[in-house]
Amino acid sequence: MASPRPCISMHRWEYILRRLAMAALVLVSVSVITFFIARVVPSDPAAAWVGPHPTQEQIAQARQRLGLDRPLYEQYLGYMRDLLRGDLGTSVRSHQPIVADIKAYLPATMELVAVGMVMAVALGIPLGVLSGAHKGSLLDHFTRLFSIAGVSMPTFWLGLLLQLLFFGRLGILPLGSRVSTEVALYHPVAHITGFYLVDTAITGNWVAFKDALLHIILPAFTLGTYAIGLTIRMTRSTMIEVLGEKYILAARVAGIPERVVLFVLALKNAIIPTIIVLGLSFVYSLTGALLVEMIFSWPGLGTYVTQAVISIDFPVIVSVTLVVTVFYVFINLFLDLVQALLDPRVTLQ
Amino acid sequence: MQTEGRAARFREYSLMWQAFRRDPLAVVSLVVILIFILGALFAPVLTPYPGQGRGAPNILEKFQPPGRAHPFGTDYLGRDVLARILFGGRSSLSIGFLVVLVASAIGIPLGAVAGYYGGWIDDVLMRITDMFLAFPPLLLAIAIATALGASFTNAMIAIAFTWWPWYARLVRAQTLSLREQYFIEAARSIGVGDLTIIARHVLPNVLTPVLVQATMDVGSAILTGAGISFIGLGVRPPTADWGEMISIGRIYFIERPWFAGAAGAAIFLVTLAFNLLGDAVRDVADPRTRRTVA
Amino acid sequence: MKRERCSSYLAVGLLIVVLFATQCGAPTQPPAPTQAPAVEEKATEAPTEAPVAEATAAPRIFVYAHPTSFPELNPATSYSNDSVIMSNCYEGLTFYNPPGSAEILEPVLATAWETNAEVTEWTFHLREGVTFHDGEPFNAAAVKYSIEKTMELGVGAAYIWAPVEAIEVVDDYTIKFKLSYPAPLDLAASCGYAAWIYSPKAYEENGPDWFNEGHCAGTGPYTIESYERGARLVMARNENYWGGWREGQYDKVVFEIVEDPVVRQQMIEAGTASFTYEPPPDNLPALAARDDLVVYTNPSYQNLLGLLNTRKPPLDNKQVRQALSYSFPYAQFIEGVMTGRATQSYGPVPTGMWGHSEDLFQYTYDLDKAKELLTQAGYPDGGFKLLLTYATGDLDEQQLGELWKAELAKLGIELELQGMNWEAQWDLSKSDPKNAQDVLVMYWWPDYISPYTFLYSMFHSEEEILFNLGYYSNPTYDKLIDDANVLSGSERAQATEMFIQAQEILVDDAVSLFFYDLANTHLARANVKGYVDNPAYPHVVFIYQLTQE
Repeated sequence: MASPRPCISMHRWEYILRRLAMAALVLVSVSVITFFIARVVPSDPAAAWVGPHPTQEQIAQARQRLGLDRPLYEQYLGYMRDLLRGDLGTSVRSHQPIVADIKAYLPATMELVAVGMVMAVALGIPLGVLSGAHKGSLLDHFTRLFSIAGVSMPTFWLGLLLQLLFFGRLGILPLGSRVSTEVALYHPVAHITGFYLVDTAITGNWVAFKDALLHIILPAFTLGTYAIGLTIRMTRSTMIEVLGEKYILAARVAGIPERVVLFVLALKNAIIPTIIVLGLSFVYSLTGALLVEMIFSWPGLGTYVTQAVISIDFPVIVSVTLVVTVFYVFINLFLDLVQALLDPRVTLQ
Repeated sequence: MQTEGRAARFREYSLMWQAFRRDPLAVVSLVVILIFILGALFAPVLTPYPGQGRGAPNILEKFQPPGRAHPFGTDYLGRDVLARILFGGRSSLSIGFLVVLVASAIGIPLGAVAGYYGGWIDDVLMRITDMFLAFPPLLLAIAIATALGASFTNAMIAIAFTWWPWYARLVRAQTLSLREQYFIEAARSIGVGDLTIIARHVLPNVLTPVLVQATMDVGSAILTGAGISFIGLGVRPPTADWGEMISIGRIYFIERPWFAGAAGAAIFLVTLAFNLLGDAVRDVADPRTRRTVA
Repeated sequence: MKRERCSSYLAVGLLIVVLFATQCGAPTQPPAPTQAPAVEEKATEAPTEAPVAEATAAPRIFVYAHPTSFPELNPATSYSNDSVIMSNCYEGLTFYNPPGSAEILEPVLATAWETNAEVTEWTFHLREGVTFHDGEPFNAAAVKYSIEKTMELGVGAAYIWAPVEAIEVVDDYTIKFKLSYPAPLDLAASCGYAAWIYSPKAYEENGPDWFNEGHCAGTGPYTIESYERGARLVMARNENYWGGWREGQYDKVVFEIVEDPVVRQQMIEAGTASFTYEPPPDNLPALAARDDLVVYTNPSYQNLLGLLNTRKPPLDNKQVRQALSYSFPYAQFIEGVMTGRATQSYGPVPTGMWGHSEDLFQYTYDLDKAKELLTQAGYPDGGFKLLLTYATGDLDEQQLGELWKAELAKLGIELELQGMNWEAQWDLSKSDPKNAQDVLVMYWWPDYISPYTFLYSMFHSEEEILFNLGYYSNPTYDKLIDDANVLSGSERAQATEMFIQAQEILVDDAVSLFFYDLANTHLARANVKGYVDNPAYPHVVFIYQLTQE
């Protein structure tokens, strides 16, 4: 789950500080691990750097340039120094700084994850609320069915099935990529945030907006299935708990409309665990995006990593792992702090 | 679960089994899993095309749709899909079991020791598990598997490496609460060695929550293993593997969905069965939710 | 709890229904991609079907559906599929003509060139009146900068300039290369990698990363307009191109990255793409039959070899190696598995390249001959085991191994097949020959077009093994090809003779199995005119040479 609790009871602020220190320690050790994984590579990074037909001279030159002839601890120090400067190293395949590549690919993945989260909230919460309110009904069955299937199904397979249905048989949604060729040529999307839905809306490019929307629906839904399932489950179970409270009964007796009871009074108290779940799903989605992007030819970080795996571009794999881990650590930290600040029960084991 | 001696544990287990037997859906899940396992074990006998299941190509019958000779059709090399599924179960199922086995083999003793001794041992272990848990699991597994090279064993090691912290944590938490039990105090006071206490008293009593977790985890491990093979880091062709079948099948999926479809269905069914089984085991393990004999 | 599980089995039931719906249905042709309707809506702006009558209104757009992404766009280091892009916005000094042309080389940025008697000095006369995309003038200083920078960075094919000791700018349009040993530099200058000439100012001011963001600073007919990593790259006309523009040529080029071969094919069929390669091989006959499409199958310069470990018994025995060469079912494999995508090799130099000869001896499938040779060598019933490694995931190589295994079993030889990724294979074969594999199956392709790259890299004696992964060492052979290489620049006919002699040695020594020369298949719309496949630049379409009908 989220984080280890301290064994002894502490003052809340001390807890927060300790948590921050731990996060820093984790980050350092993560960098050590990634450094060593990269050095364990059985193949010769110098030869990989040069290309498929290297000569001995080129390999020797590359080895020197990449600093591979220096002792290990010196290499690690150089690595740390570069990291702190924001230099994640260079891709063996493209000879380009990885930071530039990540910056180019990241917005696509972020947009995918964001829309997936939006779906999780828009679909998951109402379904969870209604399902919890009408426990045992047909709707309840359906939503539980959906959430259990979501957790058991391989996302890449689900993506294929959806493609087959919506593209192959029905022909109403596109197969992949972010926009179609026509739109890219005749209604090009401006590069402001990198989020196509935002950029097209800001510039009033509605043809492209519609196109981008159609393209993002399937991959975001595939990615969000897990999050939707989790959200439904979490919202449902907390709703059931909350709806049993006395004040709900009182509100109902007082004649407050059901909709208000559910979505205002009950939901308010069910929200914190739901936010936690959403946060965790967000991070899960970052890694789930890896597989989904492959299926939908989505030009994001996942595509970048899978190409790096195929071409055994080690610096890329390790750097992306590092970047996503840092994200992970910060989000976990954020969630813990939110819990610490909002939930008075937190501070004890 | 706070039990003590062997007799008490035995009674618990038999109660659990009886409650389990009563639950029809739990039994069905178990049966489904057994079917898959037996199918994988006896694959060469169950299919008329064992050679194809192992990888021998049959190019003349490429891409046959499901029909009489081939109930699930044939794949891009003309191999019978059902045979591939049966043989594929060998690697796809075993990676699930092995991952959980290895992860618990590493995590359980570490967690027990950390929970029992406490102090700096516990702190060190906690920091180490923090480190491993900080990584997004799939990415770490990919990084390790790429470093070691694509193979079944390496993929299994890579995934197990990302899973053991959960078991360590779980066992540690259980051990911490168990440590305060008076029977442990009693054993210590009469001079029983620490390690013996851990082996004889602690571990057997933390087994049940571990079992629950492990059962659910096998499903997820199978899913993760399929994901790793899907990217190309797992079993190498021509050995059959469900994830790899989807990976290649996806290119042809729109027009010829049967082999990737069947492989995905297999993964889905098995994972679902394990998830439900895990649910059922959790239900019977907890005396509060267990449906007992009247 | 119980109900939840009930509903989950409902899920399973639903799933099975869905599965049967998809699997039992006959494979239908899915409706054309949704991009197609969009094309029909905008009749006047259709990318590839613009009627000539509305020539002024509709821009001609060439859409290349490309299977992989482009790793890097830096002209000094680019060494991969990005050449499809680079070849359209950069140019080199010379150009290697397609097979069947009268001359091997064509002047591009160099109009004429000559060498001295010892082939240690090359002088190139440069074209005047050419400017780079950024407006800078093309001159000898630019050539010097480009090549020196490429050599300095030293990756990819930069080794083609290894013989160069010094580059001297004689005047604005004359440049002299001084070599430390004789080499055919005119061939090197035609290479599709590491030989591009780019604007020094652009490189100096913007740095290498600028190119990868989607910019071009060459002299070519097209320039990069926009680049969406992983998705597409758009090029627009360079109106100031020194070659000038004619009626009917393309105004814009779009490289669309589409990994799925079925989707690429559908795009061509629907008209949303003009050109692609590697369509699904099973569909080729149906596609070729259509009037509005054209299938181009041409030899490439890529071939597949099976290098034999000449230091490890029993393969150190020439007769055993020859026996193995007779044991492979060439015809069955090429017809059954490669089905028109390849032809059997004649020696290591691929068909269509200078230095290739069909007079060379070609082994055929003859198990009796193989058995005879094995008996002579002392292995009448085989009785030994061989390890063959191939590229994991490559279906052709995998099937090759399986077919060969079955044949060798008839001779009493056990063939063990091991799929590995390239790094692992290479490491294994670079280790002690006693522990290395017996057969290494790998592809080879040339960087610049000369038999030397095949004959030297894989068969020239090496102290420290690089690519001579059969550990072959024959001083006569070495001298022959080294001498021939020196002459490649000045006495090409004589060099050809010598290279053929060298290949005869290799074939007789049976140091490798020469499986097949790969053919490339390209699929295009019929209204794309003027495409000539040039294996020296694999999968490259020189869009400037095309017109649209």
